[in-house]
Amino acid sequence: MGLKQIELTVNGFSSPFLVQSDEVLLFTLRERLYLTGTKEGCNQGTCGSCTVLLDGKPVLSCMTPTLRCVGKKIITIENISSGDTLHTVQKYLVEKGGLQCGFCTPGVVMTMVPFLEENPNASREEIKEGLSGNLCRCTGYKKIIDAVENAAEEMRS
Amino acid sequence: MDYYHSPSSIKDALSMAGKFSGNYTIFAGGTDIQIYRKQQLDTNEHIIDLSGIDELNSIATKEGILHLGAMTTLDEIISSDEIQLHYPLIAEAAKSVATPVLRKTATIGGNLLVKNRCVFYNQSQAWRNGMGSCLRDVGTICQVTGGKKDCYSRNVSDTAAALIALGAEITLMTPDGITQKPLKDIYLPCGIKFHNLEEHSILTQISVPIKPKKWWYKKLRLRKTLDFTSLTVAATVDINSIARVCLNGVSMSPILVEQTMDTLTQENLTRQARKNCKTVDNDLMPLKYRREMINVFLEEWWDSIEII
Repeated sequence: MGLKQIELTVNGFSSPFLVQSDEVLLFTLRERLYLTGTKEGCNQGTCGSCTVLLDGKPVLSCMTPTLRCVGKKIITIENISSGDTLHTVQKYLVEKGGLQCGFCTPGVVMTMVPFLEENPNASREEIKEGLSGNLCRCTGYKKIIDAVENAAEEMRS
Repeated sequence: MDYYHSPSSIKDALSMAGKFSGNYTIFAGGTDIQIYRKQQLDTNEHIIDLSGIDELNSIATKEGILHLGAMTTLDEIISSDEIQLHYPLIAEAAKSVATPVLRKTATIGGNLLVKNRCVFYNQSQAWRNGMGSCLRDVGTICQVTGGKKDCYSRNVSDTAAALIALGAEITLMTPDGITQKPLKDIYLPCGIKFHNLEEHSILTQISVPIKPKKWWYKKLRLRKTLDFTSLTVAATVDINSIARVCLNGVSMSPILVEQTMDTLTQENLTRQARKNCKTVDNDLMPLKYRREMINVFLEEWWDSIEII
């Protein structure tokens, strides 16, 4: 596989990069851009820790070829808050203790932000279904779901 | 040399396929094939990514027949009002695949042509080296059956079961033109070469003619969202009382039992299904349990039909 020069737009900034032809977005973000907020968990599309937004749509960056992202807008966990003000989902995860080791948290946030925008009236069951692709090895699901429910309530009001 | 290709038309994709003959992998959503590449089970040099071909992404109904573009994502299928209203079986099957985030990338075409799976084959290279390769990899015998010369890896497409039960047809584009065939006819009872599509052909569309009078769908798996199916049963009964019961995840290809309800009995159905399933111990669930669950699912379907 050869190297290819491309331009990617990540968190609002466009820069040229040299990437491998078969490289996945997770590797590009973590190893070339040092955006290590996006986590590498299972690296096979199971755990959801590497979720990022591609043109506003959540995708698993470990499964997404980097070259597929050319011309699209990539948003990572580093760009989800507005400066020092956390996103509502982040705020409630902190307030309600919706994390233990915190490894799955970036994936949870990146999955739930577009989910709540798309489903503002999501029920607890629907939130559970929406989170079904995010594994928490500390098994702290109850508080994560509580936090997302609270965030949904605030985002609705 | 460029190894990643993103054609903008089917014609371009076909010409690339011809150019890189035997050394290319087609990406639809890429959610499954990407794992094969990471595990060194797919080592083709060229990737042809179909995600840039807009004409393959569509949901339309013409003259009572539903047409799905092969690159329509499973999430788009689930969200479609038309499909939810008239083809709930397809929506239910799509919803049972993987996770909500993966379904935003995974496509219906990719799911229909998902490669067969086996616990001895779908593993990392280190695992395979340690255990000894099987004949689908670089070995000479089937590890599951302890030496047989056939591959019994399972077809795990949930949407295939649903679409076969609905009598779907597929459209294929080849350099020679367009061909159409029933979906059920493309699958082969072989774990290695699991379909009979020509080398340079691209699945472009799925057409679904039947709006069934009754439908039923159930999927068995160890962990919801994590695991591929251990048994999927999709069943329909049309207005002429023809029952089409399709089982998948238990054999090398989907198993279809098609018979009029007038002559079909539960025993007859179970016997036909069990006879055609070449189920071996190649799943996370025990073999005896999976075989027993075929009876359980078919009994549940039979009971539901009687209630309706």
